[in-house]
Amino acid sequence: MDFHYNNEQFADGRLDFHRFVLLVTHRFSDRIRFVGELEVEHAFVEGLEQSGEVELEQAYVDFLFSRSFNIRAGMLLLPIGIINQRHEPPTYGVERPFFDTFIIPTTWFEAGAGVHGELGGGWRYQAYVAAPLNAAKFNADDGIREGRQKGSEANASRLATTGRLEYVGIRGLTAGASFFVGDSGFEFRPRFDVPVKLFDLDARYSRDRLELRGAFGYISVQNAGELNDSAFRLSGVNPNVASGMLGNYLEAGYRFFSSRRLGEVGAFVRHEVFDTQYRMPAGYLPLNEFNRQAWVVGATYWPDPDIALKVDYVVQRNRSTTLASPNSFNVGLGWWF
Amino acid sequence: MVVLMRALIALSACLAFVGALPPVQAPEHEPQVQMVDVSAERFTFTPSQIKTTVGTTLRIRLRSDDTTHGFRIVGTGASIEIPKRGDDAATVDFTPEHAGRYEFQCSKLCGAGHAFMRGVIVVKDAAER
Repeated sequence: MDFHYNNEQFADGRLDFHRFVLLVTHRFSDRIRFVGELEVEHAFVEGLEQSGEVELEQAYVDFLFSRSFNIRAGMLLLPIGIINQRHEPPTYGVERPFFDTFIIPTTWFEAGAGVHGELGGGWRYQAYVAAPLNAAKFNADDGIREGRQKGSEANASRLATTGRLEYVGIRGLTAGASFFVGDSGFEFRPRFDVPVKLFDLDARYSRDRLELRGAFGYISVQNAGELNDSAFRLSGVNPNVASGMLGNYLEAGYRFFSSRRLGEVGAFVRHEVFDTQYRMPAGYLPLNEFNRQAWVVGATYWPDPDIALKVDYVVQRNRSTTLASPNSFNVGLGWWF
Repeated sequence: MVVLMRALIALSACLAFVGALPPVQAPEHEPQVQMVDVSAERFTFTPSQIKTTVGTTLRIRLRSDDTTHGFRIVGTGASIEIPKRGDDAATVDFTPEHAGRYEFQCSKLCGAGHAFMRGVIVVKDAAER
């Protein structure tokens, strides 16, 4: 559960019950189990995303054959980056990293199927086929984010592939590499290919009071020029989609107070780069307000390991000489049980 | 001097009595105990592979780095709840009677990736070790 107060520069403060998540599991046997996750976003659903969303983020059945080979099918969280499969609220930062909004479009879930398992020596893998992105929804600001089909009558004429290789062999360390490859041009007529390739490297390390994490991601959108031209013909608006998008972040946190009775207090700092106009197709110029950077500093108080009272301040900058990115002050209460 | 003599006589008598007792037999197969520390955090057990031998009592001490987790060895009665970060460790004993691979998993729903929290205990015959 995530409850936030966001006070953004040039706007009024907002109180928002951002996420209410219900997880359910069922074990049919030691070898077959079900996992489901239903989420209500922004507390109220009116039919448009701006008012709220009910999302079926996970609903899959796992067939466990061995440690190294298992099959999963249903609604899946794509195995990309740190946050997409690991987004419980009692952590640092009121909102998720910008990287995990504008580069990796969390929460990214699609209907699909695939395999996962452990290879030994601390290595594990996941590989799935899933519904592709819809390039007709891409735009300059959010990049590929609006192209998620979310397993809702998703076009699956050409399935995308996604996977992750992860190393967890050292206590406290998780390092991984992820990819997503899929053709996304199915909505355009005449139809043409818009292959999208996403590559991510990430790592996180926590030991005692120290927590570190970082990620790098790059997205390539082929035929972005043709995509922009076709989208303009369809809607009258040119989305100015880039052919390359890039992002990264580094975060360090330290719990400087720890008491069995009173809980723990930690502070963190994070630097992010998220540029959804990094490389442009021939004939297009980048919109510099979407070449962004941010510093986020804040603190978290855990009265219990499953409850986090969070506060942070975000300083955002972009390369535009006319449009400023807003700074913001945020307070959040997140809990899990 | 007399007191010292009496003490020596009493000590000699005690030693003679103890010497007359049958020797204490050590058990033929004293159970071996193997201690293993395992940390649990969303969504990993570290280490996720434990090696042992048949007949050895595996004493697994489990500590969480975040929320409450569960530890269950599939197909056995070994199961325990791991308290939250900052609390004491939980300890569970497991003495395998047969060689093989025993999978363990988190048995308490701990988040979106709960299903990935698994590991294996590899048990070999003592002779193989």
